[in-house]
Amino acid sequence: MKSSLKNMVLVLFTITAISALLVALVQNMTKEAIENANIQAKNIAKFKVLNTSEDEAVVTSDTTRLIGDFAITVSTVKRLADDTTIGYAVEAPSITKSGYADRITLMVGFAEEDGKCMVQGVEVLSQKETPGLGANMTKAGNSLERSIVGKDASMVEFSVSKEGGSFDALTGSTISSRAYANAIETAYAGYLWATHRLDTSEEAVEDAPSGASMTYDINELETEKGEGDHE
Amino acid sequence: MSKLQIITKGILKENPTFVLVLGMCPTLGVTSSAINGMGMGVATMAVLIMSNMVISLIKNLIPDKVRIPAFIVVIASFVTIIEMLMQAYVPSLYAALGVFIPLIVVNCVILGRAEAFASKNGVFDSALDGIGIGLGFTLSLTVIGAVREVLGAGSIFGYTFAEGVMPLLFILAPGGFFVLGYLMVLFNKIAKR
Amino acid sequence: MNLLIADNISSEVLQGFATGEVSVQVITLFAIIVGAIFVNNVVLSQFLGICPFLGVSSKVDTSIGMGMAVTFVMALATLVTWCIQHYILVPFGIEYMQTITFILVIAALVQMVEIVLKKVSPALYQALGIFLPLITTNCAVLGIAIITIQKDFDLLTGVIYAVSIALGFALAMILFAGIRERLEVEDTPAGMRGVPIALITAGLLAMAFMGFANVVPLP
Repeated sequence: MKSSLKNMVLVLFTITAISALLVALVQNMTKEAIENANIQAKNIAKFKVLNTSEDEAVVTSDTTRLIGDFAITVSTVKRLADDTTIGYAVEAPSITKSGYADRITLMVGFAEEDGKCMVQGVEVLSQKETPGLGANMTKAGNSLERSIVGKDASMVEFSVSKEGGSFDALTGSTISSRAYANAIETAYAGYLWATHRLDTSEEAVEDAPSGASMTYDINELETEKGEGDHE
Repeated sequence: MSKLQIITKGILKENPTFVLVLGMCPTLGVTSSAINGMGMGVATMAVLIMSNMVISLIKNLIPDKVRIPAFIVVIASFVTIIEMLMQAYVPSLYAALGVFIPLIVVNCVILGRAEAFASKNGVFDSALDGIGIGLGFTLSLTVIGAVREVLGAGSIFGYTFAEGVMPLLFILAPGGFFVLGYLMVLFNKIAKR
Repeated sequence: MNLLIADNISSEVLQGFATGEVSVQVITLFAIIVGAIFVNNVVLSQFLGICPFLGVSSKVDTSIGMGMAVTFVMALATLVTWCIQHYILVPFGIEYMQTITFILVIAALVQMVEIVLKKVSPALYQALGIFLPLITTNCAVLGIAIITIQKDFDLLTGVIYAVSIALGFALAMILFAGIRERLEVEDTPAGMRGVPIALITAGLLAMAFMGFANVVPLP
């Protein structure tokens, strides 16, 4: 078709208008379904991290704590049969450390066993790390998951092993692994907070170890380079 | 050109990755494993078939000079709509392919085919072209992904056979360039026969 | 209530729970600029904008021109899309229109740059030829516009980030063009000529750029 200013403007405008209308229509149509799907996915994760399922358990209460723009939600999961608490599923982002691309949000399952706070399971809810590297945290049985599931959270050091922590970093992805550890730490703190056991007094904050690990000394730089670290 | 030829030419003679050298960004970006390559390929194919059909339908209504912006708008709305529909009704599939979908908008394969084929041919042929090119793209991405996964992670389609001994370099950016470069040499050699 | 002294929780996280605020790590402008140009080079590590990178990089002169064009478009695009996002899409709650509006704005901008270039520098216009419309589908421009929004930069930081990314693009391209000019006169095996050797060269360049990793702390 020949172009004149009039038909160019007209056609482009019409196409844009129709497209925008269609997109808006579909958005309206799918908004609810998308929300439901997201809630459903989170619910499934809540049961999964406590090694149970919808048929045996129910979420009885959700407590949410807002820290800045981040929300930490602690859900109590009870057994349907006898109404006993199976454990707590905590949804937590890595609040003080970002991954390579963005924050990482995890669902972490905690359960009390003989006065110990055992990590039952971890599910990655959202991450935008590099495929093949940091994104490996979503794979079942990855080194990060192996370093935390089945451990007593109160005995865990929330940093990667080469910084003296308990987490075996994913190959070539120290930054992603740090964020993962940070999200578990946040989840643990959230769990203690929800069960009213987190001491947030000034002295406690002052006595706590500093989690900042963004200082790079020469030695670390060299070892990191030597391992061909990317993330 | 016979109908079958339209499909098969996308796989060999006009392979989008190795011959046309289109859509390099997603090709290099997502092929760190075979399954990722395949996912991206399939998602692209779906968009390509539909955008080809729509563009071939409306091709006569669009003035030449605003062709490209018009095509882009069509493609972008398609991608957005497909993304929302998948997210709503097939969340499990969305979880697997979701990350690739926004990337499709800027995949020059789609615009390239709209320009080179759909804007000159009928609806049915355009759909076939979408299938052919889509298949070629999926195959190339899967092969590149498989090679990188085997060399870099010692696994194939997620099945690990040599953990932690393979050079990670092939998963990283340089490996993407190397593998694509050498595969292209190989492909040209085979295709020339 | 028996308060547990959870001595393995870091002071930063505790502080967050105590005050409901988390101290955001301040990323210096320097880190953003160096990170965008070298560490996360848009072409060599983020795989955006590969098509023009391979297509227009056979001569240093043209790649300088392309680099400039992309820098200009990217800065302008980020400026405009940032404003659209924060003054139109968010207030009206139509963030889902992001892709469509952004790509339209970029297409319009490219068209404008094309017209201006045609008037101002016909030689450069001749050289860049078909690749200017391709900036529209240069995934780098749309990609960076979206990443800038995702990273929650303010307008100034966003534009600085976009310019740095574009400079990284130009740098990679000019280096690459320099290497390719030399390759032209070398005796390359027949099957490797053209795109394959270019890709392998790019791979080596990407390896060199990996050396920049960990030079600056990343956000």
